[in-house]
Amino acid sequence: MPTYNLYMGCSVPANYPNYEAALLKVAKALDVELNYMEGVGCCGSPNLRAFDYYGWLVVNARTLAIGEQNGHDIVTPCNGCFASLKDALYHLRHDKKDMKRVNEELKKFDLELRGTVRVRHVVEALYTDVGVDAIREKVTRPLDGVGIAIHAGCHLMRPADVTEMSIEILEEMLRATGATVVQYPLWKQCCGATVLPVNEALAVRLARDKLRSIKDAGAEFIMVVCPACGNQLDLQQFGIKDTYGEGYDLPVLFYPQILALAMGMDEEEVGLSMNRVPADPILDHLTE
Amino acid sequence: MTETDGSERPPATLIEPIDMSTLDASFRREIQSMPDGDELSACFACTTCTAACPIANQWEYKPHQLIRMIILGMRDEVLSSKEIWECLTCFQCQERCPQKVRVTDIIFDCKNLAAEEGKIPDAIRNLARELLEKGQLYVITADWEREDLDLEPELPGLSTEEFKTILRNTRTGRIVGGE
Repeated sequence: MPTYNLYMGCSVPANYPNYEAALLKVAKALDVELNYMEGVGCCGSPNLRAFDYYGWLVVNARTLAIGEQNGHDIVTPCNGCFASLKDALYHLRHDKKDMKRVNEELKKFDLELRGTVRVRHVVEALYTDVGVDAIREKVTRPLDGVGIAIHAGCHLMRPADVTEMSIEILEEMLRATGATVVQYPLWKQCCGATVLPVNEALAVRLARDKLRSIKDAGAEFIMVVCPACGNQLDLQQFGIKDTYGEGYDLPVLFYPQILALAMGMDEEEVGLSMNRVPADPILDHLTE
Repeated sequence: MTETDGSERPPATLIEPIDMSTLDASFRREIQSMPDGDELSACFACTTCTAACPIANQWEYKPHQLIRMIILGMRDEVLSSKEIWECLTCFQCQERCPQKVRVTDIIFDCKNLAAEEGKIPDAIRNLARELLEKGQLYVITADWEREDLDLEPELPGLSTEEFKTILRNTRTGRIVGGE
């Protein structure tokens, strides 16, 4: 049974327990063991990296060192955590001086980082280690004919030398549920979440550009794999209605929710009522 | 030289001339010594980064200009700019740079230098304070929602003290303490 260190971060458990619950249920059904990491805290997000690079390095090195102890890969459902851990590890592997300095700090916690641990987005781990064929076998209510647009999220995809990800992974995972991947011009564009603290109007504009591109391409739903992107694309639809008078009515679902529904789980099990834009239409497809 | 209308005005230019005496030649080396600055001087100002940036249209200093300003030594202008804090960190500029300049990463470096000098937006300073006080960005408030979904009310394995201890002794502590 594939076994992982699960680094949940702070946003998923506080803001999107539906993502967390759907992930755990899907993992169980796929015979994957996800063990919550013991004694870990926040990654600080790219915000911390912006004003305190060294502090950000140390807090993430500590998490990495804890994960390294049992030899299992670290997996996370959050792009912010993914980027922080992956980026800090990339830097420390390439900078012996900082690795030494950080390890001096880690001694205070009786920890040492060698840099051998692997960090992965949990969806990529399911793709690579379980595989789409095994996943497809568990799909009992395929989402045949449902057009879904993927928003991967910047920090999952770039910079590619750090993230080691490709969009095809998410596309194949979505197709495994029976859904159709809807391509749209602004697929690479940022959701705007990171600029919210300093310029809210700009953040709303970015979400709007993105949603319009998705709607114009004919998608019925949006798939996300990050709580910050999910929050921004889901919640801002209400702000956009107020600011621009435009209604997009595009339900935003986390990948494990989509997969769980296709595997036959019901809406309550995946907390569908917590998705702010009503996600009922997906149920219509499933009961057709 | 051809006589014009006899006025003493400088000739019209597309951009304001740069006052050479205000440039700080060490700024380039400062950035190059930071984690992501190795390729900085490979920039040949092709503006691909600016074409890739989804918000450059509303910036006074475009991404390629910020890189050029660093190379020229316009330290104050770069570190005091609103642009570095509005950067989405979407890495589209960096991904497309034909010279492998780590544009987004360099903007991260600039923010760190600005923060060290106390040039930090209030919203970001507040965020630093919250991180230090709570030990995380988001705290679980609706534990009943979690229980409804068969989750533990609290996050299993969470420990926030070490995070606070580390950041109290790094720049986060200085930013919050030095208000």
